Amino acid sequence: MDGQPLDSSFRDPSGFVFTREGVLYRQVNRVFQDEFEAVTASGLYDELAGQRLLVPHRPVSLDLAASGEAAAVLEPERIPFISYPYEWSFGQLRDAALLTLELQERALVRGLTLRDASAYNVQFDGGQPVFIDTLSFERRKEGAPWMAYRQFCEHFLVPLALMSRVDIRLGSLLRTHLDGVPLELGARLLGGRSWRSLGLLFHVRLHAAAQRRYRDRAPGAAALRPVGAETLLGLVRGLRGAVDGLRWSPAGTEWSEYTTDNNYTAAAASSKRELVSGLLRGRGVRTVWDLGANTGEYSRAARAVAERVVAFDLDPAAVERNYRRVRAEGESGVLPLLMDLTNPSPALGWAHRERLSLEQRGPADALLALALVHHLAIGNNLPLGRIAEWFARLGRTLVIEFVPKADSQVQRMLRSRPDIFPCYTREGFEAAFRASFEIDAVHPVAGSERLIYLMTARDGDEIGAA
Amino acid sequence: MYIDPTSGSLALQVLAAAALSAVAMFSRAREASKSFFRSLVSRGRRWTGSR
Repeated sequence: MDGQPLDSSFRDPSGFVFTREGVLYRQVNRVFQDEFEAVTASGLYDELAGQRLLVPHRPVSLDLAASGEAAAVLEPERIPFISYPYEWSFGQLRDAALLTLELQERALVRGLTLRDASAYNVQFDGGQPVFIDTLSFERRKEGAPWMAYRQFCEHFLVPLALMSRVDIRLGSLLRTHLDGVPLELGARLLGGRSWRSLGLLFHVRLHAAAQRRYRDRAPGAAALRPVGAETLLGLVRGLRGAVDGLRWSPAGTEWSEYTTDNNYTAAAASSKRELVSGLLRGRGVRTVWDLGANTGEYSRAARAVAERVVAFDLDPAAVERNYRRVRAEGESGVLPLLMDLTNPSPALGWAHRERLSLEQRGPADALLALALVHHLAIGNNLPLGRIAEWFARLGRTLVIEFVPKADSQVQRMLRSRPDIFPCYTREGFEAAFRASFEIDAVHPVAGSERLIYLMTARDGDEIGAA
Repeated sequence: MYIDPTSGSLALQVLAAAALSAVAMFSRAREASKSFFRSLVSRGRRWTGSR
């Protein structure tokens, strides 16, 4: 709603983000004016924005303010696609953690500090993590400890430690624990593993023990002794060492070898790449969502004709590999994210509004669904008509591959289960998708029996009539 | 401040401060004793005329 705070921006009394006529603004409230001016005067904003560590903003007229409490209004650069920590790969969460620590270190050097250390303050602009909460910085009071220390550990260190030392799938705990994985839960799940790292021993196990000891009581005089800036720098460097020491090698998951372990010949793969970019070209496509992108082979073919591609996959290893490639090659416009399409990110948080569902963040101009539909229809018993309905809500143009039952990949899926999918035929597929899409073109994939379709979603009232 | 830092987290930072001070003090003492013994050895060499 115009001039209303966004549903993800209401906890901090110092200001909020809102939109007016489609433009994103950040209001700085009078209660935070002095702090904001002090941080601006310190030169930290300019330094960080200049290095793309912080999203740049420009001051605009106070007339644009959303309420009478405004002291300033800023227009931040808009991040094209908002993603959430529970959709990031291990490397993305680790890079976001290191960025947060880098910012805190630079702030401390200037006599400032980060007031919070939420993972939601970081977004990805292609492969580059960027801090988005301009109002997170304030002047540090002499002797004050780091108020966001616990939050940093729960949002970053604990989930990273669990993913690295216990099981990569524990990253999904961030979806149920929006304010970070509790220290005590992290310590319990890590068990004896936290004794093997001094960083984890201190920042997780001892931290959890301190939480238990001081639960429901104010800290005594001893615990309120001043903490010097040097100590905080030591703490931040210790945290960086702990995060740096956490590694995960993307191997051994179900889909991690898919790019090399598939039945495409080189000719078929090349034909598919050309088809993807050829079909999208000339349709004015700016944003593409690649559903089931694996390591992003065809996301890059789409990127050749679109400004931005979000590459979703359910496999943590595939997403990690894709992210590492984006980082290594300095690619812009490709954002790999974790997403189980059979259970996509829902709307979460207060009143189901703080974190948007995948669908709420769309629609994209175009969708790619290559070598995906058989996994949804046969692997997950999803009726083709329902798949088509959902895809029509996610994007207007659809490039989709139909993999027939004769294909060795489908045969592999049917090896261990009865074939209860009589409608899974070319005719059944086309009939199911015609209810939600117009079929504009069909092309065979060279060297295979697979087909690639170009479709356009029908308008809402057309769907009922089709 | 709009997030709860929690008492345990504050207490741990004070503990970290104490530990870092102790480490710094220990390092300074170690350096002081090393330089003291170094100076004793070099003085001994001067008295005995050893090279």
